[in-house]
Formats: sequence, structure tokens, C-alpha cells
Amino acid sequence: MTHISDYLPFLIPIIALELILALSALIHILRHRSFRFGNMFIWIIIVLFFQIIGPIIYFTIGRGEDE
Amino acid sequence: MNGFTAFLRKELLEHVRNYKVLILLSVSAIFGMMSPLTAKMMPDILANVKVEGMVLKVPEPTFIDAFVQFFNNFSQMGMAILLLVFGGLLSQDLAKGTLIIPLSKGLSRYTVILAKYAAALILWTLSYVLAITIHYGYTLYLFKPISVGHLFFSLFCLWLFGAFLLAVLLMASVITRGTYGGLFVTAAGLGILLICQTIFRMDTFNPLKLVSENVALLTGKAEFDQLLNIAWITGALILAALILAMAVFKKKSI
Repeated sequence: MTHISDYLPFLIPIIALELILALSALIHILRHRSFRFGNMFIWIIIVLFFQIIGPIIYFTIGRGEDE
Repeated sequence: MNGFTAFLRKELLEHVRNYKVLILLSVSAIFGMMSPLTAKMMPDILANVKVEGMVLKVPEPTFIDAFVQFFNNFSQMGMAILLLVFGGLLSQDLAKGTLIIPLSKGLSRYTVILAKYAAALILWTLSYVLAITIHYGYTLYLFKPISVGHLFFSLFCLWLFGAFLLAVLLMASVITRGTYGGLFVTAAGLGILLICQTIFRMDTFNPLKLVSENVALLTGKAEFDQLLNIAWITGALILAALILAMAVFKKKSI
């Protein structure tokens, strides 16, 4: 029986990628602050607490226009 | 084909700026790393969830289990993300009217459709290849490799289904109006295919088989010939969807 911590070297890149996604979405939220619907706080919560799928939903349907 | 390459480059650049490349590549990398790990850790995870009076016997995970996880992830979450990311592939341009200027400058309407499809296909292929490479490396490291039949064809089936989804999505975006019309029509089409498969048992030509039989192909339980036929049919359907999209788009007022 192995421990979860034995897999840590494999888990770190996954966690890092998830963090990159979440952080890039967070930075985008803070810099643009225009959304198709919802407000800033809702999107920050979605992006930070729903791993992988949160940032994707923000970038695909939540993000406002770039102008 | 000068207009084609120029428009293709513009499309790819737009994908980079719209974070589509970031999303697809990172999600593929995550899936590629996660699938073998989940397979490897499954006995440990189940051991932590102890139920009183129940003994869970989990067989030692194998090479095949890693691919089971990979195909599960990609055929469900992967396809959903692919649809979400490319949901506004054409309809957003139509809604914003950004296509009017290049079209009035003499860009052919066929070129628009083909370049959009090519750009989406390039991105999907890149991220899929990345996922396979990472997944295969991890799997080789974590599991003892065994020889499996039709590994390449099995992976190709999933890729072909992605290409099929993109073609249907493009066609649906040409036909419908509004930003998310194409997405809804494609989702509805998938639902119809699912009903055909589960209720009416129309197995012989259903493209959905391409993503449901991958593991059976590896273990040799699926009929290779039937899937090869379906792959040809799906290829023909992709062509038909693209031709229909071009024909409708030529008549469409922008």
C-alpha cells in the first residue's frame, strides 16, 4: 500500500497548471472588470473555487468584450 | 490560396488572444497527467473510503486502466470543453459584424469557412497530441507496458470524433442566428445521436461509437471492421457538413 504523498512529484505539475489557469483568469477579471453577466465577486469565486472548469467558463462565456 | 493562409493566420492569432490556446493546451496537459495517476491511485482512494461491513476488492490497476481513464476524461469533459471553447467560432464574428470588411475586400466566403475549420482543427490536433504524449509517457513510467491491439486506431477514433464535432458546430453556427445558436444545435444533435444509440440501437453507422468503443478496441472486444466503417462514414459526414456550411454561408446575408 502506497501513500498519496508518494505521488506528490506527479501531482505538483497538475496543481501548478490548475493554478496557472485560475491565476490568469483572476488577473483578467481584475484588469478588465466587464462581464457578459454576473459581477466581479461571483466570477472571482467561480474561478478560484471551481478548479479547471471555473476558469474555462469564465474565459468562454463570462468574459466581456475587450474594448 | 493567399487569402486562405492570411485568414488562417488571423484566426490562429485570435485563438491565442482569446485564451483558447491556453485553455485547450493546459486542460489537455492536465488530462494527460491526471488519467494515469487516477488509475494508479484508484486502489488507495477506494481504501480510504471504508464502508462498514464491506470489503472492497480492487484489482491491481494495469496499463489498460490508464487508457480507460484517459478515454473517459476526453470523451466526456474533453468534448464538453471543446464545444465550450469553440462555441462562438463563427457566430461571434457574425454577431459582431467583423467579417463584413474582409468579405467586402474580396475574401471568398468558402475561404472563411475552410480557414475557420482548419484553425480549429489545428488547435484540437495540437492539444490532443500533447495530451497523448504526456499521457503515454506517464503511463509507461507508472505501469508495466503490455502490447495492446489497435492503440493508434483507438486514439485516432477519438480525434476523428472531435473533428466531427467541430464540423457540425461550424455548420450549425452557419445555419442558426445568435451567439450561442450553433452550440445549442450541436448539443441537441449529440442528444439525438445518443438516443439513436441507446434506444434504437443504431450501432452500425453512429459516430458516437467512435468514443464509446475505444477501450473495447484495446482489449480486442470490439469489431475493428465495423469501427473502420464508422470512421469512413464520419469522415464523409465531416465533408458533408463542411460543404453544407459553405453552401448555406454563400447565400447568408451578413
